[in-house]
Amino acid sequence: MIKERTYYPSLTGKDKKLELPVNAAAVATLSAHYDEPVWLRESRRQAWELYAELPWPDRKEEPWRRVPLREFPLEARRLVLAPPQLSSLEELPPCWLLPDLPRAHCTGLLIHNNGGVCYADLEETAIDTGVVLQDLHQALESHEELIRQYWFRGAITRPDFNKFTALNAALWHGGTFVYVPAGVRVERPLRTLTGYDAGGGTGLHHTLIVAEKGAKVTVVQERYSLEAEPELNSEIVEIYAAAGAWIRYVSLQNWGKQRYTVSVQNAHLERDAHLVWGSGSLGGAATKEFLRTELRAPQAHALMRGFTFATGQQRLDQSTYQHHLAPNTYSDLLFRNVLRDQSRTVFYGMIRMEQEAQNSEGYQANNNLLLDKARAHSIPGLEIMANEVSCSHGATVSRLDPEQLFYLLSRAIPREEAEYLLVQGFLNPIIEHVPLAAIRAHLAEEISRRFWQAAS
Amino acid sequence: MNTLEIRDLQVRVADEEETGILKGANLVIRAGEIHALMGPNGSGKSTLSYALMGHPRYEVTGGDILLNGESILGLDPDERARRGLFLAMQYPIAISGVTLYSFLRAAVSARRGYKQTARDSGGGHRRSPLLPGREFRQEVRAEMAKLEMDRTFLRRYLNEGFSGGEKKRAEILQLALLKPEFAILDETDSGLDIDALRIVAAGVNRLQSELNMGLLIITHYQRILNYIHPDFVHIFYEGQIVKSDGAELAEKLEAEGYDWVREQFV
Repeated sequence: MIKERTYYPSLTGKDKKLELPVNAAAVATLSAHYDEPVWLRESRRQAWELYAELPWPDRKEEPWRRVPLREFPLEARRLVLAPPQLSSLEELPPCWLLPDLPRAHCTGLLIHNNGGVCYADLEETAIDTGVVLQDLHQALESHEELIRQYWFRGAITRPDFNKFTALNAALWHGGTFVYVPAGVRVERPLRTLTGYDAGGGTGLHHTLIVAEKGAKVTVVQERYSLEAEPELNSEIVEIYAAAGAWIRYVSLQNWGKQRYTVSVQNAHLERDAHLVWGSGSLGGAATKEFLRTELRAPQAHALMRGFTFATGQQRLDQSTYQHHLAPNTYSDLLFRNVLRDQSRTVFYGMIRMEQEAQNSEGYQANNNLLLDKARAHSIPGLEIMANEVSCSHGATVSRLDPEQLFYLLSRAIPREEAEYLLVQGFLNPIIEHVPLAAIRAHLAEEISRRFWQAAS
Repeated sequence: MNTLEIRDLQVRVADEEETGILKGANLVIRAGEIHALMGPNGSGKSTLSYALMGHPRYEVTGGDILLNGESILGLDPDERARRGLFLAMQYPIAISGVTLYSFLRAAVSARRGYKQTARDSGGGHRRSPLLPGREFRQEVRAEMAKLEMDRTFLRRYLNEGFSGGEKKRAEILQLALLKPEFAILDETDSGLDIDALRIVAAGVNRLQSELNMGLLIITHYQRILNYIHPDFVHIFYEGQIVKSDGAELAEKLEAEGYDWVREQFV
């Protein structure tokens, strides 16, 4: 018997409109606006001090060497908190919605626009088992102690990781909180959308995902923006998987053409925890991502899959880190980039095996497919302190294979269509890891659009 | 009547040593005829098949290829295929990430000149139109059943992890769906066990009579010719056809090998 599903939706943004320059006063104003507990006010204040002290990253530092920081709108920014008042979901920008995705395919949906919630719902049965999909500010009212326990604790999601994380810790507004209690399995994905329309300011979103012992959850986070002028984005994602938890996190960004982003994402895995991490980067003027998996206890298992399709003058730069801190851990990373026009991608991949990580396996591969005069840099690395481990890394930069192309042409397929099939084929093993057919179809459509627009 | 004419074709392999070159090959294949081209390794048989299909690595330095009286030398491989030429390859290429189904749909849509914009290619893209999925899937499944192929192959990546026999069956499936006027089967029998050979040969015979195709069967051994009976057998040696005769020539080659050819024509 199919049970009737009841969702509890709240359509309108409840937040008052707020607009602030980025300065020390804004820190206190935000805390007051959200009526935050003392520890959080203090956390923001300390982060602001760090922010004031720290210099912007230097291009002499390896991870920043090829990031066009000079183009980033670092100064004279403003915070805007202006979630639109919606009377229906259709009022969101149409390009943010997936009309082919039946509502019943997701357990919950949370949409942020301009730093505040403009839509949220969650299935009744999930609410009954204690599952949370909520705005982080709101969740502080019900889950304060829990949030405090995980607050900026990840290996790289700390305020002092760099000036961008300090900025986020000081002035974050708008956040996604996912919580799955011990033993609870959320069978259908939770979907969350982080957007900024033309009225949005600097993006400082904070995503926190916690799965307790033996919990299971899929979270799909999509990102969109429609800024009218260059805008900065400093985002944090923290994932915590307790013993035996299973998390699939699919992180998709399709930022607007003028968005400059630093995204710091960290996953923390306990014993027998299992993470499937999918990452797709399509938009933005320039994006620097730090993606790190910490395998902290035996039998932790992580699969990382990523793709980018860079066009025009886009810069997509990723630093990945697979950190093995315990025996019998396993990680496997495959990132694939397609580049065309004058775009650039950079991939720094590191696997580090600590002395304690005996009998662990770590694999990493980065493949780049060049369609034009684009350039891909791929810099894989290994740091191995243990002697009984199995590791491999590989990087390739190549063009379309002439024998494959000939095979497709010999079957009547026109050259551009054949090239498109090969590009699709190159990315498919990554896209396969994305849940929900409608989202995969949407990504295929985006890839198709990038391919055919640029092919002329 | 449809014809494929190879006229004094001279081909060299770009950037390579002098193996496999063509030194003036001549052959005319008419609709409905089955020709077998036999020759020792390195005689240029595969060079001929690639040159016919327009592989960029094979440079035509003289002569001509005429399809129904028109030269196709200036045409890209996809245009040759759309005009009705088909090459079943000795070593079909594996393409990871592209399913057999999406490949077949793109290929057949292009061959049939399908012009309607499919639903999933909207948004102002310039993507080539695709045949409607439902009807096409039915057609493919019917052909697969005839070739005793499991339909789950449609979801698999093209030729990836296929056994030798599965690859050859997939080639014949493409032949069946693309319905060419002329097909070249390059060493289609290699890598096939006897059961698979029977199925593949039955498929080729059926399609040949249905479509009245002209067939050029390139083979090292006589084995496949026990199942697909040629009207003509040609011996290919050092880049040209040195002897042509009826089916009995294949039997002579099988019994006596190629030594007598070498002695006679060197």
